Amino acid sequence: MQNNRVKEPIQKKWIWIGMVLLMLAIVPWYFPKGTDVAIVLGFPYWALISLFFSLVLCGYCSWLCLNEWNIVEDLEEAKEVKGE
Amino acid sequence: MDLAFSGTDGILILAFYAFVMLLIGYLSGRGKDIHNSLSGYYLAGRNLGIIALFFTLYATQYSGNTIVGYTPAAYRTGFSWLQSISFMTIIIGVYLMFAPRLYVIAKRQNFVTPTDWIHYRFKSNAVTILSIFLMLWGLGNYLLEQLVAIGQAVSGLTGGTIPYQFAVIAFVLVMLVYEWMGGMKAVAFTDVMQGIVLMIGIVVFLIGALYLVGGNMGDVTSYIASTEPAKVGVPPLEGSINWFSILILVGFGAAIYPHAVQRIYSSKSERTLKRSFARMAWMPPVTTGLVFVIGIIGIMMFPGLDKAGSEKLVGMMANEIAAIHPIYYWAMVLFFGGIVAAIVSTADSVLLSFSSMLSKDVYGRFINANATEHKKVMVGKFGGIVVVAFLLWLAWNPPATLYEIFVLKFELLVQVAPAFILGLYWNKLSAKPVFWGMLIGALLAGFMTLTGHKTVFGIHGGVIGLGINFLIAVVGSVVVSVSAEQKTEVEEMTSLKVEA
Repeated sequence: MQNNRVKEPIQKKWIWIGMVLLMLAIVPWYFPKGTDVAIVLGFPYWALISLFFSLVLCGYCSWLCLNEWNIVEDLEEAKEVKGE
Repeated sequence: MDLAFSGTDGILILAFYAFVMLLIGYLSGRGKDIHNSLSGYYLAGRNLGIIALFFTLYATQYSGNTIVGYTPAAYRTGFSWLQSISFMTIIIGVYLMFAPRLYVIAKRQNFVTPTDWIHYRFKSNAVTILSIFLMLWGLGNYLLEQLVAIGQAVSGLTGGTIPYQFAVIAFVLVMLVYEWMGGMKAVAFTDVMQGIVLMIGIVVFLIGALYLVGGNMGDVTSYIASTEPAKVGVPPLEGSINWFSILILVGFGAAIYPHAVQRIYSSKSERTLKRSFARMAWMPPVTTGLVFVIGIIGIMMFPGLDKAGSEKLVGMMANEIAAIHPIYYWAMVLFFGGIVAAIVSTADSVLLSFSSMLSKDVYGRFINANATEHKKVMVGKFGGIVVVAFLLWLAWNPPATLYEIFVLKFELLVQVAPAFILGLYWNKLSAKPVFWGMLIGALLAGFMTLTGHKTVFGIHGGVIGLGINFLIAVVGSVVVSVSAEQKTEVEEMTSLKVEA
């Protein structure tokens, strides 16, 4: 490790716990089985909930990329500025 | 796919796309000495900026096949095909497991192929050769799938005006020529054009389809609920297990695709890479998500199709949409040209990666290590042509429906994941257990698929193989003793230092 500001996603447990929880929320294993389902906003209710968590996963992954990943960026950007 | 709506117009559009691709290839290679350097030719000099990197990542993960193959999948599966959004998103999650560290090591050690990492980490010919085999198998299968799809899309678009085989050969030649001229740079810049056309095309297609069913998604769902309730119902437990299984299979399989890994190497900087991934994370809802809705609408437009009939769904829907208005007609012609272009854009990335592995891993490592970079590049280029010729021969008799081919390729490819990812972080992971895990995992996955047991309780053979593979690699490495010297060496290898 070169400095304290290094951020590597693999080293943070909460990231992966969050990822697994989202997967558990996306897959519709927890709904009562059956074909008689309410339709909300054009979707079966379970699919709408699954879609919602799928979108949360998109946002989560995107946010993680930008905010929890920083290893050599500062060094590279400093070099860029110097024109190396 | 039988499209009656387009003949000569389709040919004109295809010729236009072909011309643009060739022009981009020419401009990418012009005046640059890319043919004498492996990283210049295969990795665009490790200098891809955010727009090119984003679109080339996009073209790697999404192909014309995403439309041609996933629309029927949604049609047949119903609302549980929503899984296509999550399994495409989870790929970014898996990237977050290994891309940050691999990027640093790859820059430091000048890696060109994914095998460079495997060989550097394990220093074992057995592990290297087995990984090369599994990765080339995956790539070859993926390329074959694209070649089959080009034929179907082209023959649909031109309404049989030009013979199927002629069209495929013409497009493959265009691809080979621009790739020959510009290497990765040509591939990445053609991906920008192809990606934009595909994105716009999907949106226009969806608007047209929605218009035809009266514009209300609620009506579509109510219709399906009354005619085929299983497609809107909560999936049975086995369906949910299968959904988890595919998240693992596609997540790990697609993230360690050789051409996907090489895009990590090609990035200009960490900043560019992570920003491209951050945008990619939002692409599943606007690509596979919209395609899913199109497939669902298809259930109402063309009820009761069997499996073979549903494979032609996109063409049938396009016919109806084209008849709405001349604007839609031209949008559909452009869109189908776009599908062909998108398939070509995926095929070119796969072919380039295949060539790079022939150049560097097979020829450069095991046949003639002292060859010049120019010679290695040339071997890869000619080898690529031979492979395409062989696969074209196979493509005339496509073995299964498109989606089945797609799952098959991951079953074996995914077995490289433990070595690839765990090797980055666990210094005790040793070559021998890794080799046996990979081999037994691949054999089991292959055996299950070949004997018709593709899934057990909804779990894919590839995922079961991966579990056993992982177990053997971990338990074996705990048992095998590693000298202090070896440990220090691996620590050095996997460190986050910038300079060697």
